[in-house]
Amino acid sequence: MSAPLLKIDGISKRFGGNQAVKETSFHVDSGEILGLIGPNGAGKTTAFNMIAGYLESDTGDIQLNEKSIKGKKPWDICKAGIARTFQLSKPFGDLSVLENIMVGGFVRSADRRIIETKAREVVVFLGMEAIIDQDALNLTAFDRRKLELGRALATEPKLLLMDEVVAGATPNEASEMVELVKNIRDRGVSILIVEHVMHVIMNLSDRVIVLDSGNLIADGNPEEVVNDPEVMKAYFGEKYVQQQST
Amino acid sequence: MDLLLAAHIVKNGLLIGGIYGGVALGLSLIFGVMRIINFAHGSLLMVAMYLAWFLWKTLGLHPYVAAFITVPALFGLGYLIQSQIISHLFTREKALVVEPLSALLLTAGIFLVLDNLVLMIFGPDVRAVSVDIAYANFFIGEIPVNIPRFIAFVASIVVASGLSYWLKHSNMGRAIRATAQNRDAATMSGINVPFIYNVTFGLGVAILGLFGALLVPFFSITPTLGLSFGIKSFIVVVLGGIGSIWGCVVGGIVLGLFEAVASQFVTATSAAIFSFGLFIVILLVRPKGLMGKA
Amino acid sequence: MFGTATPLERGLIIIGFLCLLVLPFVITNPYHIHTATMIVYFAFMAASWNFVCGYLGQLSLGHSVFSGVAGYVTVLMFTQLGISPWIGMLFGGLLAAVLSVAIGSLTFRLKGPYFTLTTIAFAEIMRIWFENTDNFIGIPLKGSEGLVVPLVGDSWWAFQFNDKTPYYYIALGLLLMIVLATIMLEKSKLGYYLKAIRGDQDGAEALGINPTKYSLIALSISAFFTGIGGAFFAQFFRYINPERNMGIDMSIDMAIMAIIGGQGTVLGPILGAFILHPIAEITRTTLGGSFLGLHLVIYGTVLALTVLYFPQGIIVPLRRILARISGRAKK
Repeated sequence: MSAPLLKIDGISKRFGGNQAVKETSFHVDSGEILGLIGPNGAGKTTAFNMIAGYLESDTGDIQLNEKSIKGKKPWDICKAGIARTFQLSKPFGDLSVLENIMVGGFVRSADRRIIETKAREVVVFLGMEAIIDQDALNLTAFDRRKLELGRALATEPKLLLMDEVVAGATPNEASEMVELVKNIRDRGVSILIVEHVMHVIMNLSDRVIVLDSGNLIADGNPEEVVNDPEVMKAYFGEKYVQQQST
Repeated sequence: MDLLLAAHIVKNGLLIGGIYGGVALGLSLIFGVMRIINFAHGSLLMVAMYLAWFLWKTLGLHPYVAAFITVPALFGLGYLIQSQIISHLFTREKALVVEPLSALLLTAGIFLVLDNLVLMIFGPDVRAVSVDIAYANFFIGEIPVNIPRFIAFVASIVVASGLSYWLKHSNMGRAIRATAQNRDAATMSGINVPFIYNVTFGLGVAILGLFGALLVPFFSITPTLGLSFGIKSFIVVVLGGIGSIWGCVVGGIVLGLFEAVASQFVTATSAAIFSFGLFIVILLVRPKGLMGKA
Repeated sequence: MFGTATPLERGLIIIGFLCLLVLPFVITNPYHIHTATMIVYFAFMAASWNFVCGYLGQLSLGHSVFSGVAGYVTVLMFTQLGISPWIGMLFGGLLAAVLSVAIGSLTFRLKGPYFTLTTIAFAEIMRIWFENTDNFIGIPLKGSEGLVVPLVGDSWWAFQFNDKTPYYYIALGLLLMIVLATIMLEKSKLGYYLKAIRGDQDGAEALGINPTKYSLIALSISAFFTGIGGAFFAQFFRYINPERNMGIDMSIDMAIMAIIGGQGTVLGPILGAFILHPIAEITRTTLGGSFLGLHLVIYGTVLALTVLYFPQGIIVPLRRILARISGRAKK
């Protein structure tokens, strides 16, 4: 068996008296869509920020292709092949849709023409041809989200970290996003996705892991995980689980 | 070091430091409530000093009497600046066009206008008020204490106490604190936020009206003195913690003592280098809580 | 800006430049040439400031330190070592760039108003130090009195001319350089990166951008040009002192010309200088000394109005008007 693409080995983060993530280990395999779920405050975004280099883990190690990336800065982690999106998408103003995506491309090449060609491909892939020259600040919330995805893709990542991609989206938009994420995986990008909307996670993920109060409490295929009593307890409380089993 | 000399240095530092703190109070209040760095802060002090000087020159009013005119006059000026000029920025901010530097630039424009209007009206010459009290001293042991400086120092403490009491216990004070904490929630609780901003700005500037009158007996004035007072006030506010009333007084005293000690080793003008250095170090060493993440 | 310019705008820009080129053949009064040189010089300085601050969205009010230091280096190399000011100018520019990296690596940790206040603090420290230092390890700085460049007469080598016209063309050449540099910036990785950092620093980092690194690269280029401008200023007046060449007034002039004209664009800062500096000249000459400071009252008022009504600079409504005219012409 080959080594996983991303290996998380016992990472933790403490903010003052609050242990946001505690000795958590998991991995992302090549070509996999891994869903990361958990109640509010479970430490999902903190874990994300540690992988992407915005926070440094207090303990353990993070390896991409068996090379440690722990303690590296966000821009070096991007160069190593991990891209991310944020919960709040802020496009770069005074740049068009195409130019926003080109910003991501410069990390792989300094040749403006190559980057522009690749960025145009990304625009087509996202289905944003009609608004390619629009100032990015004038986009709708959902287009901003897609644009952010496009910027991340332009960095040619091996692994994409996605934070709440369908938050606030209409059902139509959500299913468009699900298709898009699947297509991204088909391009050979592995994905770690944090999401609150359950059916999106069930639909997308090959495997799901669950964080609760900084601890990893489940790891398995989507159906297994949602029926796991531990997980239900985390989401709905002890009483609910007891009622269900009687 | 000679003990008497040390006592002198401490006395000088305390006195001027207290005054720095008092002058900076308005800057801190305005920043704390409105998140605006008022670049024209020092210029407004300069305007107050010119007003006090002018009242003395034309009507022969003692500066301490003139304070009864300069304080309401500066309140009015501050109220007008906020309600007629700066308020436009806030209406734009509601439309989500937030540019944190706009307020700084806008007040920089006001600073240019005020400084140069005064320059045009009164010319570049140094002016001074001469009143007898300027040279009056009392003694603590062997140390002479200049009475007008001491009065200004006491005024800082009194204004700081009064302001923090008023903010805690009056209705208007509560409304101001509520607005400082959460503008939107304050609006929803029926607080007239634009009015609160006008009053806050007026109040912050009115304090300068007081110190303008209290400073002229021992401080000669030029149209350009505003900027250096403004920058010192920024230093004080950063030292003491932005938005904190007592922090302001403490920050002022720290700066005053620091300058008094530094000026023992170098000339008074060069001592300003150390104040700026201190300012940079403080901003860099404890940036959190000062800047946050935008 | 240039890339998105309409044909009409491009035409106007080229006509404008040609006008500047033939200006000395049209006006012969040395005083007018002097004024034209100062306008072009301020356009150059505002554009140099814009190179980093406009594109990065940070307000530096300490740029005069680069102009002052490079000016001093140029004058001192000439008076003490007999080195041509042309070489001194380059050397001064490079030193300003090195200094900017030292200052920037500290100040860029701060954002918004805090960045602005620390840039003022650094520049003031340098100015006060120069004003209070007569002699630094054997180098005569002469404190606040300043240094005079000894007159050697008409000489390209010594950067001294009896006629004002050569100074004018040198300033115009500098302006052309910064315009080309800014156009290149807009098309380069650096330009994209600066706009990305301005838009969202966290987002930029996620795309492989090290904000400090690219901010410092842009700052050092900006400081280099500003230094060149400072050296020119010292040569033009054959005199340098800390107050004029390093003081906060110079920094404020650079910044507000760029902001009023339109920061983050190629032509905005130039527009700002061409609008504002003539105001200063006209008030000074027609109203004389009795209205000392009037031009700054006007600067301040225009700045406040710009911030309130055209936060992206006067160039924005101007371009809208031009677009309407060219649109109508097409119909």
